[in-house]
Amino acid sequence: MNNLLRNQPMVFPIEKVVIPEAKSFRLNNGVPVYLIEAGTEDIMRLEFIFKAGQVKEYLPLLSSTCNMMLSEGSQNYTSEELNRSLDYYGVFLNQTAEKDRAGIVLFFLNKHIEKVLELSHEILFRPVFPELELNSLMKKRLRWYLVNREKVQNLAIDQFFESIFGKNHPYGYQILEQDFENITPSHLLSFHTKYYTPENMAIIISGKINTKTAELLNSWIGNISSNKTKSEYSVNPVKGEKLKKVHINKSGTVQSAIRIGSVTINKRHPDYPGMKILDSVLGGYFGSRLMKNIREEKGYTYGINSSISSLDLTGYKMISTEVGQKNYKKAIDEIYKEIKLLQTVPVKKEEMEVVRNYMLGEMLRMFDGPFALAESFRSAWEFDLDNSYYYRLAEKIKTIDPDEIIELARTYYNIDDLYEITVGAE
Amino acid sequence: MINYKKFTLENGLRVLIHEDKSTPLIAMNILYDVGSRDEDPEMTGLAHLFEHLMFGGSLNIPDYDTPLQLVGGENNAFTNNDITNYYLTVPSENIETGFWLESDRMLELDFSQKNLDTQRNVVKEEFNQRYLNQPYGDAILKLRPLAYKVHPYRWPTIGMDLDHLQNTNLDKVKSYFFSHYAPNNAILALTGNIEYDQAVNLSQKWFGPIGKREIKPRNLPAEPEQTDERILTIERDVPSTALYKVWHIGPRKSNDFYTIDLITDLLAGGESGRLHTKLVREKKLFSEINAYMTADIDPGLMIVQGKLMKGIDIQQAEESVKEVISGLLNKNEIMDEMEKVKNKFESSTVFSNTSILNKAANLAFYELLGDPGLINKEVDAYRNVSHDMVIETVRKFFIPSNCSTINYISTRKEK
Repeated sequence: MNNLLRNQPMVFPIEKVVIPEAKSFRLNNGVPVYLIEAGTEDIMRLEFIFKAGQVKEYLPLLSSTCNMMLSEGSQNYTSEELNRSLDYYGVFLNQTAEKDRAGIVLFFLNKHIEKVLELSHEILFRPVFPELELNSLMKKRLRWYLVNREKVQNLAIDQFFESIFGKNHPYGYQILEQDFENITPSHLLSFHTKYYTPENMAIIISGKINTKTAELLNSWIGNISSNKTKSEYSVNPVKGEKLKKVHINKSGTVQSAIRIGSVTINKRHPDYPGMKILDSVLGGYFGSRLMKNIREEKGYTYGINSSISSLDLTGYKMISTEVGQKNYKKAIDEIYKEIKLLQTVPVKKEEMEVVRNYMLGEMLRMFDGPFALAESFRSAWEFDLDNSYYYRLAEKIKTIDPDEIIELARTYYNIDDLYEITVGAE
Repeated sequence: MINYKKFTLENGLRVLIHEDKSTPLIAMNILYDVGSRDEDPEMTGLAHLFEHLMFGGSLNIPDYDTPLQLVGGENNAFTNNDITNYYLTVPSENIETGFWLESDRMLELDFSQKNLDTQRNVVKEEFNQRYLNQPYGDAILKLRPLAYKVHPYRWPTIGMDLDHLQNTNLDKVKSYFFSHYAPNNAILALTGNIEYDQAVNLSQKWFGPIGKREIKPRNLPAEPEQTDERILTIERDVPSTALYKVWHIGPRKSNDFYTIDLITDLLAGGESGRLHTKLVREKKLFSEINAYMTADIDPGLMIVQGKLMKGIDIQQAEESVKEVISGLLNKNEIMDEMEKVKNKFESSTVFSNTSILNKAANLAFYELLGDPGLINKEVDAYRNVSHDMVIETVRKFFIPSNCSTINYISTRKEK
């Protein structure tokens, strides 16, 4: 890059990542509300989050089914009426059930705040879980499941979670066909009563926030009474399976899916920002080593990446790719080779500069606009962290030195600890 | 209301600018007026392969991605039947690096045989990942040649035969570049934290010196009107039988466009769409069903696709789809739903325009269609669709002789 004829423009360092602070208050019943004012359009994003994820369930599919059934009929509306009404007011509703948390997110024009709160109240606090709707949902879900189980990437990720978290842990167990027959309305009702409560919930709002929002929230949600059962984690710690390498044979495939990784620290650990940087170097962006080597140099795959993710009880790191049948063993060797390189050879200054600046640019994108802001807020807040976490991350990106990366790679990427899941024709 | 300004460089490059000072970033979108419809039938997939090659080095810059990452930028690209579109976002202070990179690869590509060989493999893996290694993945590959017999929309963007790409070489690729990639065949859109004057100066500085080029004239064979219903039955080892039905519709700029758009929303917009409500929820014939249109510039397709519940007969499923479509003719049933889908369209347009990248892509594409102002007119155009227009359009297009069907039959025995 030194002898360019059309001269390369100056590179301006990204000095400062500015993150707007969220305002917070509590509803009359104690529910915390976080408000992030942002954006230019008259729109809002409203999220209701509950500690009602998979980790709470005592039957497979309970958390996700309870969440999906919220909009299948309430005391005042049938499912059809709820859906029509949401569509009529131009509202986008996402129902989400993750490993730790579950809830709903609504996107709408802020003039419709009152209607949105009325419908949210019905969906969240007055669902009736009708048996007919439940039965037809489970039949549909079984069809979706059967199609998904045809895809090597789904077989691989399901096995990966089982292997790293343990086959009896709610983070890890795999869904079986018969699980779709086991859930009844009374299971849903009791799960809902226990976990969709003011004690277990928080509200995150962003956008051009309608001035009546606080008042309306109190009148729709602030008087929901508590049943005083705060949800507690009584769940066992995660414990990975003994077998580190699992191959699932699936005939007729033209590509094999590969997942390599293990449990690791989560966002609460002081080394986490450094791990984010290490992960970027390895496989976290288009210019990463895995992409450069396995796609851009060798052409084995359309894409390969690594990621590090945080859960409440632990974190995990994972390398994922789909590779042509004849090259997948070579690809696995290259993956381990890249990890070993990170443990032994310091990252050169030029590459360090690229990673630093790419990641700082990524941080600007993480806080650009009301939707991104809310998601970034949530993903720190879930771990009892605030913006200081992001400022710490930005500082680490600017200052980390290559020796520290070697140290992190040696501490957290011990190759003997990694699980290796492959799915495809043998 | 999205305000924008437009100017044209002497070499024909059109530039659109929309200022949005609420973001620290700038989005830069370059649309090239070339897609898979412009390919030789013996060399399909070239437009898309070429998109991959555009990252392999240009006259003065050996590698596109690294310098962009070095200034905090991120980029991607896509190719479809009609266009090849490149986009990036970058912190505003580093926008000049974006100009440097994009103008250099418009000036002249410089990539190696090795790069061509590698990207051919990457595309092969992309093809495998998207189409061959997915259940039902080949359905769309079968649909195009069933619906189109003549027009180049008969092959998919990735190519109708991967062997075509094996036959290309550096010379052919270079000549493709000079006959399609040129300032007079491109549209640049800049949105976000940028001033108009700054955009004009930078565009002149970096793109101004690139000369006009002779563009290969587009002379595509029109698809003759379909006169008979076409049916293809495929048997596969998949969990559920699936049904695909497509109808020819008008071109992007025809009067029917917004009517068809509204019809697909009546049928499949949101949880309360008619196909889902009637066939998934009420009759329980399908586990999922969707309707959409291809939105191509030349006459495109409206597609309905669904997967059947276990034990459902495909004839019964198909009849039920036809019934739902004829239900659109019933004014009493539809009027409320018209208002509903119009509201939803309006709000989804507002949401889409919160992203500087979407705004840049939309401005560039609407300029290609001839009027960037469409970005502010679409909601009205959609709102103006009347039920009479829906009736007329349903009667015109949704007739058996205009339809192609794939019965994608599951051969799997389930316990």
